[in-house]
Amino acid sequence: MSVQLEIAGLAVAFRDHREERPLLEDVSLSLERGEILGLVGESGSGKSLLCRTIIGLIPSRKLRVTQGSVRLDGDEILGRDMQAVRGRRIGMIFQNPTSHLDPVMTIGRQISEGLRHHKGLDDRTARAEAIALLTQVGFPDPARAVTSYAHQFSGGMRQRAMIAIALACDPEILIADEPTTALDVTVQAQILRLLMELRDRRGLSIILITHDLGVVAQTCDRIAVMRHGKVVEVGEKRALLAAPQHPYTRELIASHPSMPHPEDAVITHPHDRRPIFEIDDLDVSFPVGGGFLTGKREVRALKGVSLRIWPGETVGIVGESGSGKSTLARAMLGLTRVSAGDIAFDGNVLTKDRDKTLKHLRSDAAMVFQDPFNSLNPRLTIGQTLAEVLKTQGETRSDKIPSRIGELLDLVGLDRSFAARRPRSLSGGQCQRAGIARALAVNPRVIIADECVAALDVTIQAQIVDLFRDLTQRTGLTLVFIAHDLAIVRNLCERVIVMHHGEIVEDGPSARVFHQPERRYTAQLIAAIPDINPDRPINCGPPSTQQEYVT
Amino acid sequence: MRRYRFVLFRPFQFLPVLFGISIITFVLVRLIPGDPARILLGTRATPTAIANIRAQYGLDEPMWVQYLYFLKNLASGEMGKSTLYKVDTLKLIVTRIEPTLALVVAGVVLALVIAVPFAAISARRQGTAADHAIRIVSTAGIGFPSFWLGAMLIILFAVRLDWLPVSGYGERLGDKLLHLILPGLTIALSLSAVITRSLRAGMIAGLSSDVAVAARARGMPESVVFWRHVVPNALVPTVNLLAVNIGWLIGGTVVVESVFAVPGLGQLMVRGIFSRDYMVVQGVALTFAVATVLINFLADIITVALDPRVEI
Amino acid sequence: MTATTLSPRWSARFGRRPMLLAGLTILGAFVAMAVFAPLVAPYDPILHDAGAKLQPPSLVHPFGTDNFGRDVLSRVIWGARIDLQIAVIGVVFPFLIGTGIGTVAGFFGGWVDALFMRIIDVVLAFPFLVLMLSIIAILGPGLGSFYIAMALVGWVSYARLIRAQILVLKTQDFAVAAASLGFSRLRIMFRHLLPNALAGSLVFVMSDAVLVLLNGAAISYLGLGVQPPVAEWGVMVAEAQGFITQAWWITLFPGLAIVTLAFGFSLTGDALADLMGVHE
Repeated sequence: MSVQLEIAGLAVAFRDHREERPLLEDVSLSLERGEILGLVGESGSGKSLLCRTIIGLIPSRKLRVTQGSVRLDGDEILGRDMQAVRGRRIGMIFQNPTSHLDPVMTIGRQISEGLRHHKGLDDRTARAEAIALLTQVGFPDPARAVTSYAHQFSGGMRQRAMIAIALACDPEILIADEPTTALDVTVQAQILRLLMELRDRRGLSIILITHDLGVVAQTCDRIAVMRHGKVVEVGEKRALLAAPQHPYTRELIASHPSMPHPEDAVITHPHDRRPIFEIDDLDVSFPVGGGFLTGKREVRALKGVSLRIWPGETVGIVGESGSGKSTLARAMLGLTRVSAGDIAFDGNVLTKDRDKTLKHLRSDAAMVFQDPFNSLNPRLTIGQTLAEVLKTQGETRSDKIPSRIGELLDLVGLDRSFAARRPRSLSGGQCQRAGIARALAVNPRVIIADECVAALDVTIQAQIVDLFRDLTQRTGLTLVFIAHDLAIVRNLCERVIVMHHGEIVEDGPSARVFHQPERRYTAQLIAAIPDINPDRPINCGPPSTQQEYVT
Repeated sequence: MRRYRFVLFRPFQFLPVLFGISIITFVLVRLIPGDPARILLGTRATPTAIANIRAQYGLDEPMWVQYLYFLKNLASGEMGKSTLYKVDTLKLIVTRIEPTLALVVAGVVLALVIAVPFAAISARRQGTAADHAIRIVSTAGIGFPSFWLGAMLIILFAVRLDWLPVSGYGERLGDKLLHLILPGLTIALSLSAVITRSLRAGMIAGLSSDVAVAARARGMPESVVFWRHVVPNALVPTVNLLAVNIGWLIGGTVVVESVFAVPGLGQLMVRGIFSRDYMVVQGVALTFAVATVLINFLADIITVALDPRVEI
Repeated sequence: MTATTLSPRWSARFGRRPMLLAGLTILGAFVAMAVFAPLVAPYDPILHDAGAKLQPPSLVHPFGTDNFGRDVLSRVIWGARIDLQIAVIGVVFPFLIGTGIGTVAGFFGGWVDALFMRIIDVVLAFPFLVLMLSIIAILGPGLGSFYIAMALVGWVSYARLIRAQILVLKTQDFAVAAASLGFSRLRIMFRHLLPNALAGSLVFVMSDAVLVLLNGAAISYLGLGVQPPVAEWGVMVAEAQGFITQAWWITLFPGLAIVTLAFGFSLTGDALADLMGVHE
C-alpha cells in the first residue's frame, strides 16, 4: 500500500483581538490508498476542523493554519488553490444531509453541477451519469430520484444522495464527517455497509469521522484518536482496541455503551406488588395539517399500547425515530391528550379521574428531557429553577429551601456554586445534571427520562448513566429510561421494551431480550448496533429495496 | 403540479376574510354620527333622493338587515354615487386602478433592481467599507418618509435639473412612463431599504450555511455557490417579506400619489375624506383590501414555485 | 424571529457596542431637544415675521425661514415634542393591547385563538394606512384620532408576534417540564413563557416606532393629523410644498429630522436585537 494523503505537523490556531489559542496542534496522520481511517473524538476534539483544513475550508476567518503540511500523492496542497482538488480528488459528506443538501435544487442538478463544472459534461450526459450514480448508492428508482428534492426522501436516502453527489467526479478520497450520527441504528448500518462496498468497488480511501468507537471498530482499518486538538493515539484497529496505550483511549473504550458494565449483576425487582403504572390499549393520535376542504388527517403515534411498570424497576423503552416512545412518555405524565385506552398511576386512572391522578403524578413523577439546554428556562438560575419546584411542591419549609437546593446539587454531582448560574454558562452534561436535580426536587417515586443522554458525548453519557444507576440503587426510584441507543439500555435497565411504529413489539428482562430476542425486528435492531468488538460484525439485514419516499 | 392544487381551493379560504372586510367597510360608514341617508348623499340632497336611498339601503330596517342590503348592492356592483364627482363609485374606482397598479409594479420592480445588487455586494464583502456604507444607508433608508423623499426628488430632478415632470400622470404610454419615474422611485427607495436588509441577512446566513459548505466541498467556484445556491434560498423569505409589506407598500401609494398628484386610488381616497364623500372612501378601502388579499395569493404561488418544500 | 434571551452579562457588554451607543445618543438628543425646546430654539415657532419671509439658510437663520418668516430651525426643534410623542404614544398602546391579546390567544388556543386570528387576518387585509385613514375619516382629523386609530389597528402586529412566540415556547422542553412539575397555568404563562416571548417584541418596538413616526408624519402631511400652525415635521413638509420651486430648505430640514430620529430608533433596535440574540 502506498500513502495517499500525508498530514505532517499541522497546527491551526484561533486568533482574535484578545487572544490566540491553538485548536489543532502538531497533527500528523497518513491515509493509505484504499483504506478506511477512523478519526474518533468527542465534541471539541478538532476532528471536523482537521478535515475542513485538509480541503481548505476553514470555517472562520479567525482561524489560521500556523504550520504543517498536507500532501496529496506527494504534492503539497495546503494553501494552494483547492478548487480542482475539492470534489475532483477529495469528496466530502457531512453529518446532517438535510441541511447540507440544497433544499431548492433537485438531487440530479446537485450531482450534475459538479460533473459539468469539473468534467465539462453536457446536460444530457451529466444527467445519465447522475442516474448511474444514484443506482450505485442504492436508489431503487433513480430516474425519479434525479428530479426529486431532498425533503422528499428519508434521512437515510438523503445521506445516500449526498454520497452520490460527493462521488460524482470520481474522487480518490472521501471524507465522511459523522455520516451516520443523525440516523437510526438500522439505517446507520446500511450506510456504513454502503461506504465499505464503495471502497471495495471504487478503490476509495476514506476518512471516517465519528464519535462512536463502535462505528470505527466495525468499518475502519486504522483508528486515530483525537482529543483537545491533538492526535493522542494512532494504530491498527484491533491492536488499538485490544491494547490502548493512552489513558484517554482507555476511558473512551470503557465508556462505550456496548462494553459490559463491571457490576453487570442487575438487580431485578419482583412483580408481586401493585404496578405503579398500568397502561391498557393506549391510543394517541395527532392531527396533521389538514384544513378547509382538504380534511384533517391523523397520525396514530401509539396503537394499542399495554404496559405495566412495577415500583423500583428500571425499564428501558427503545425504538427508532417515529416509534412512539416519546409520545408514550408524555402520555404517561398526562402531558398529551389520549385518544383511547387507560393510563393508571398508582391505582388512579388518569383517563377517568384526571385531576386527582394529575395531582399524584405531579408530586410523585418527574421527567428528564433530551435537549439539556432547552429543558431549563434560560432566564432563571439553577437555584431559582429548583426553588420554584420546591415552593410549588410545598413540602419544604421556605427557610429550608436553600439547604435543600444544596443537597440536590450534591446528589447530582454539581458543585453548590452552580445554584447561582444560568443554563447558558453550563456545559451539556452540567445542564443535564441540573435537569435531573430538578426532577429529584419533586422527591419523585418515578423518573421518566426521555433520550436524556442522546445529546451528550460518550464519556459524559457514561457519567450520567452511572448517576442514574446510583440513584436507583440508593433510593429505590423507579426509572423509565427512553433511548434509541440499545447499548445504553442494556447496561442500565433490568427490563427492556422495544417499540416499533407505535406498538410494543417486545417486552422482557434485558438479559433475555438481548440474548434471545423473540421478534425479528428486535433481532435486527440489536444486530445493527455497532459493537466495539470488531469480531462481532454489524448486520443490517436484507438490503432495503423499497423506495423510501417520505410523502 | 399537485402542489399547485391550492390555487383552486384557496379562493374559498378567502371567504371569511372577505366577509370580515365587508363588515368593517360597512361598519365604518355607519359609525359616522348623523343621518346615514344624508351622510351617503351629502348635505344638499333632495327629499326624493333621500327616500330612494332609504329604500335602496334599507336604512329604516335593523342594522343586520342593512348589512344584507349592503351585500346585495355590492354583489350587483352598486357602490353608491360619489357626492363629489356625481358618478357611480364603481366606475370612478375602475378608472383610477391603472395609475395605482402601475405605481406598485414600478415600485416593486425598481426596488428589486436596486436591492439585489446592493445586498449581494454587501453580503459577499462583509465587513468592508462598501458593506458598512450599504448597511448604514439601508438602515437609514427605512426611516425616509415617502412624502419628503418625493418632494426632494422633485426639487432635484424636476426643479433643479429639469429632467422629469414635477407631477401628474400623462395621456399616452411614453408620457405615463415618464411621469411614473419619480413616484416609482420614491416607493422603490423606501422599499429597497427593507429588502436590502432582509436579502443581505439571508445571503450572509446562506454563505456560511451547510448548503454553501457542501457546494464548496465539491469544488464549486464561489460565484456558483453564491448565485446558484445562496441567492435562490435567500429569495424565499424575501418574497414573504414583500407579501407582508404589501399593505405598507399600497399605503405608501396613497401618500406618494398625493405628493405627485397621480390620479390614482389613493388620491381619490384622500380627496374623498376631505369632501366627506363617504361612498368613495368606503369603495376605495374595499378595493384596497381585496387587492391586498389577491396580492398575498400571488405571493403564495410564487413561494410555492421558489421553494419545493412548501405545501399549501 | 425566534425567541431567545438576554445574555447573562448583557449590561457588561453595553460599553463595547458602538451601534447601541450611537442609537441612544440620537434618541437622547431628540428627547433633550423636545424637553428644552423653549430654551434651545432661537425663535418662536409660530409667530409670523413679515420681514423675513423665505430666507435661505444663513447665520441668523441656520435652516432658513418659511413663507410666514418663521425660523425653520426653531420649528424643527419644537417639532421634536410632537413627533416624539407620536412615536411613543403610537407604540405604547398597541404594544400593551397586542401583547395582552397575543398572550391570551397563544396560551389558551382553541376558539379564543381562532377568533382573534380571524380578526387579525381581516385587519391585516387592509393596507395599514388605508385603514388608519378610514378611521380618521370617521373621527375627524387630529392627533387624538390618530392615536385612537393606532390603538385600533396597531395591536395586530404585536398580537401576532407574541402569539407566534408563545406557540413556539409552549412546545419547548422547559415549558413541558414546568407543566410536568405541576406549576399553575398562570405561573407558566407569566414566569416561563411571557418573559422569553417579550425579548422579540421589545426589539420590534424599536422598528415599530419608526413606522409609527413615519405614519404619523404622513397623516399630518396629508392634513389629517396634527393641524397647522403647530410645528410638526410632516405638516412642515406639507406647507413647504407650495414653495418647492423657490425654497428647498423648508422641505429639506424637517425631513432630515424625521430621518435622523428614525435612524436612532433603528440603530437602537438593531443593537438590542444583537444583544438579546433575537433575529428577525
